Amino acid sequence: MELLQYSLRKIATGIPLVIGVTLISFLLMVYFGPDKTYELVGKNPTAEQIAEVRAELGYDQPVAVRYLDYLRELVTLDLGFSDSTGERVSAILARTIPISAAVALPGFILGNLFGVLLGLFAAFYRGVWPDKFIMAAAAIGMSISFLIVIIAFQILLSSSYGLNLFPVRGWDVHSIGDYVLYVTVPTLATVFVALGYNTRFYRSVIVEETTRDYVRTARAFGMPAGPLYYKLILKNCMIPIITRIMFSIPFVVISGSLLIESYFGIPGVGKVTYDAIVTGDQPILKAVVALTAVLLVAVQLLTDIMYRWVDPRVALK
Amino acid sequence: MRFLFLLTAALLIGCGSNGGPDPELAGLRVYHHSADGAPTSLDPAQSATAYANLVVINAYDTLYSYKYLARPYELKPNLAAAMPEISDDGLVYTVQLKPGTRFIDDPAFPDGKGREVVASDVVYSILRHFDPTVRPQGAWLWQGRVAGLEEWKAAGSDYDRPPDGLRAVDRYTLDIRLEAPYPQLLYTLAMGYSAVVPREAVDYYGREFGLRPVGSGPFRVTSYDTARIVLEPNRNWRWRPVDLAEEGYDPDTQAFTGIAAIDGQTPPFVDRLMISFITDSAARWNSFTKGNEIQYAGVPVELVDRVLASKNPVRLAPKYEARYQVVSDIEAGFVYSAFNMADEDFGYHPDPEQQARNRVLRCAMIRGFDWRRRNDSFYFDLGVVFPGVIPPVVPEFDPDLSLDSVTRDVAGAKRMLAEAGWTADNLPTMTYGSVGGVRSRQFYEQFRAWMMEIGYPREKIVLKQFATFGDLNKQWRESRLPLISAGWGLDYPDAENTLQLFYGPNGAPGSNSSNYNNPEYDVLYEQAAVLLPSPERTRIYRRMNQMLIDDCVAVTGLSRTRIAVWHREVLMYPSANIVGGFFLPFVALAGDNGILERAEPARLTLN
Amino acid sequence: MSTVAEELPAAGADDAGSASLWSKGLYKFRRDRTGMWSLAVVLAYVVIAAGVWLGFWATGWADLAGGKWEPVSAQHWFGTNIIGQDIFDRAIYSTKTSFEVGLVVAVLATVIGAVLGAVAGFFSGSWLDEVILWLMGVLDSIPFLLFVAAIAYTLQGNPYSMHIAMIVTFWITAGRLVRGEVIKLKEMEYVEAGHALGLPEFTIIFRHILPNTSHILLVQATITFVAAIKSEVILSFLGLGVKDGMSWGLMISESSQEVLAGFFNNFLAASALLFGLVMAFNLFSDALQDALDPRTVSES
Repeated sequence: MELLQYSLRKIATGIPLVIGVTLISFLLMVYFGPDKTYELVGKNPTAEQIAEVRAELGYDQPVAVRYLDYLRELVTLDLGFSDSTGERVSAILARTIPISAAVALPGFILGNLFGVLLGLFAAFYRGVWPDKFIMAAAAIGMSISFLIVIIAFQILLSSSYGLNLFPVRGWDVHSIGDYVLYVTVPTLATVFVALGYNTRFYRSVIVEETTRDYVRTARAFGMPAGPLYYKLILKNCMIPIITRIMFSIPFVVISGSLLIESYFGIPGVGKVTYDAIVTGDQPILKAVVALTAVLLVAVQLLTDIMYRWVDPRVALK
Repeated sequence: MRFLFLLTAALLIGCGSNGGPDPELAGLRVYHHSADGAPTSLDPAQSATAYANLVVINAYDTLYSYKYLARPYELKPNLAAAMPEISDDGLVYTVQLKPGTRFIDDPAFPDGKGREVVASDVVYSILRHFDPTVRPQGAWLWQGRVAGLEEWKAAGSDYDRPPDGLRAVDRYTLDIRLEAPYPQLLYTLAMGYSAVVPREAVDYYGREFGLRPVGSGPFRVTSYDTARIVLEPNRNWRWRPVDLAEEGYDPDTQAFTGIAAIDGQTPPFVDRLMISFITDSAARWNSFTKGNEIQYAGVPVELVDRVLASKNPVRLAPKYEARYQVVSDIEAGFVYSAFNMADEDFGYHPDPEQQARNRVLRCAMIRGFDWRRRNDSFYFDLGVVFPGVIPPVVPEFDPDLSLDSVTRDVAGAKRMLAEAGWTADNLPTMTYGSVGGVRSRQFYEQFRAWMMEIGYPREKIVLKQFATFGDLNKQWRESRLPLISAGWGLDYPDAENTLQLFYGPNGAPGSNSSNYNNPEYDVLYEQAAVLLPSPERTRIYRRMNQMLIDDCVAVTGLSRTRIAVWHREVLMYPSANIVGGFFLPFVALAGDNGILERAEPARLTLN
Repeated sequence: MSTVAEELPAAGADDAGSASLWSKGLYKFRRDRTGMWSLAVVLAYVVIAAGVWLGFWATGWADLAGGKWEPVSAQHWFGTNIIGQDIFDRAIYSTKTSFEVGLVVAVLATVIGAVLGAVAGFFSGSWLDEVILWLMGVLDSIPFLLFVAAIAYTLQGNPYSMHIAMIVTFWITAGRLVRGEVIKLKEMEYVEAGHALGLPEFTIIFRHILPNTSHILLVQATITFVAAIKSEVILSFLGLGVKDGMSWGLMISESSQEVLAGFFNNFLAASALLFGLVMAFNLFSDALQDALDPRTVSES
């Protein structure tokens, strides 16, 4: 009961956020946004035909009406049809989100897993050479642009100038084998880029934890370093780790890894969103932005609940 | 910072790959085609792009189609039983349909069985272009030409009361009544825009009709997304044995393809047709050379020197010659940059003296433009540079026209500017509109460098980037940019289609975005518009072309040459141009998987 | 120690702790060899960028200096690109663009973050704080690239749309940090003294509290600088970035079409220069952070 009340309260506080996100993105992306009219008119249009297309797209309505329409669409979950293909937006999302998840998942898991492990390792050897080596490598990793990593990996792994092991781009997945083939290069690039940031972040979290009193006490009581790290310290670091992971989720689920997908031509939600940007397909943009906001609120709620689960001392407040 | 999250994070649930196992292709004859862009909609009323047209004319029937091999291009009856009967005044066209053609089976029909295609379906399909709720794109083809269309639209687009100009006389007879002779009408009946759709399917699928083609064409779509479409032959289509002579077969230039083998045989020669839409040329090439993926591609500009042993005649390097066929195909269209004549800085001006100086400025900029180098940088040096707007692909092209307007002359351009009193200080700023993307930016940078060489200050050639082509197009349509850099794809092989780009009444927002307005030109256009092809019409066309050159209206032009390559076991003569998708029903496969002999490599020697 | 302190710019703070933080920080930074080296590299880039800005070199970046894809030669140190422009000139010229983007974004984002963060922190719990927090939450919730794209459209063709988009997003981190710090600082005695003396709130915030967050702001500004030049690359690749001029991002996006055909010069030139600057700035930022961290300062 307490949990339910808490959740409802939390959802209520999320409403201004959702309204803010939808309003700002509506104004930017829809009202001032790209104009689809001139993609839809024929080669030799008359002024009258242009006006007809604008009316068809609803561009002739006042802002307030269009915004309220947008909110109504969200509440009724009626996301409409793509202006480009006529496909249902909900169908597009249902088709593309799983692909994005399949592309991003391995990189996400490995990037965070290795990040925590390396962070733990570095913190364990704090100040000595393994730490310095890992941190130097992390600094280098953080300094290489994602785009450069993608291009370099593509040359090294997918072109005749390198090993030529994987497809250059695309997503033609019908079996586990295909999946491994297509997902490897994007995953390696993602892990490479994420690892530097993750390792640094997790190391600093863990180092912070090691300075606490209970660690000194445990040490003083002769607790061996290994169990100390993975039983006590790691467990107590779960809150920042969970926060970081949880808050990343909405951006991947909804906006996807836009760069990876547009570079590798993977038909995930990121690419669809990018294409919607460059063709001015507003129904898709509206849906993507709103869902991101809603998911963020949901994630905040879930995160708070997980805190309590990880650390019962955190009251639901 | 947030970008990092975007990169590192992922969903922890709902992982799964896309779709089931690959369909069992073994034993099937599969032709895997590719295109460098994807259609956005397969609704014929929205088939504005070549990509959409490629699919639409295969999934749907058109009254007429182009002969497979005839060059110059020629029409032949398709759904129509014969070429139309045309009244003596050229105003009434009567078309008979072939009886017995059926739409494919689809849940849209009452009992799920496709019904027969009748004349009123053709009427319905064309009328859809005059119904705003369809978001149609082809109205300009018939507007003001076919009688009664505007009135029909003004009266609320009631399909049950078709206009006088477009009538189904009986089940198989169609009457088209024109307001004035319109010799290009037949071409419009071979375009995807006029493809025949059943009203049941449009009503049944509503907005999603563009994703669910229900046609009566040679193929039926079995799956479709933005990456690939899969089609199967429509076994109920009116397949008949191939008569190569009738299709315009020319052994001298086409024998190397091995298509002689299909003569007298009855298609379909494939069990499945796949078309992958791959925008990235390198990826497309990669897929092509893999061997088991796409069997048709273009050669990426960066690779031309490696892939080709010679460009003229086009020949593959030995490494590729054994496996692939190649053909170079000049596009039906051209690229050009027109000045916006409504812009007082570059075009017409209230002060006649200033107007004359503006003309000199335009002429000088045209002379400063280096078509030879543009051709070398981006079109393998294989494009054809020509003066004016009548491209080499149409019969009215004049090979003897002076090349002065497309030959660079920096000294001459500088002299012209100096004589007209143009200096670095008083030259007007040129805002160069462009969409994002590497290639457009390179075009801009090259243009800027050339203008700098004739004395334009760098900061006066300004890039204005638009995120979408639609937004750029909007600026052109609203005459807000001084230069319109575009490509024009011909809708039919008749120079009228390019000359109308400068016809006064077509001014913005119409297709004449240069707002060229020359009464003399307009009169000639109107005279020629009602003429059937004839030496007289060609003379008028050429006079109009010369006017455009003399008035320095546009930096023009270049017709690109596309280098198409395909796997040797595929027997076909592909065309990315006017014929478009009409060649696909004829594609055959040689070797174990095909019914025909493989083309002999020895036959390749081609000149 | 005292000589170091004398060289310091006045921190404008009322308490002695701040001055000693800066003097100790400088002392510490000077002994950090990685930090000093990275600073030297950054300064070298500054010299390159200043030279471009003053027109000393890379003036021919827009000219068609040679043929198509010329290889490396004495005349063209990194060869030429598809339309014959000198890649070396363009890579050098792009240094200036990077500094422009980095500085504009870092300075403005930090200033906005400082002001809004300080106001929110000082009035924490009030409606003003709520509004600013709401704004931060909202801007944080819109996917970055979508947001930049949206701003690019709204300011159709504006050469600074990318800068504006980055500033609007990047001020939030600085804002949050400053807000947290100000909430701590406003409980300090000297602030209460200020209140007692009847100083206007405006003066207290901007003259007395904000200067004491300057070490946070400086470090945050360097981090924002790096984030900005890295984002520029991605945004330019997506066609949302630099409009006029030349940048490493544009060069890398140009190269993405060439590398599979074996032309690596654009890619290598731009990547190497970009990596050098980002790496040096990252290390510089780390060293600065270590030097200015009150905890480590007090330890030493």
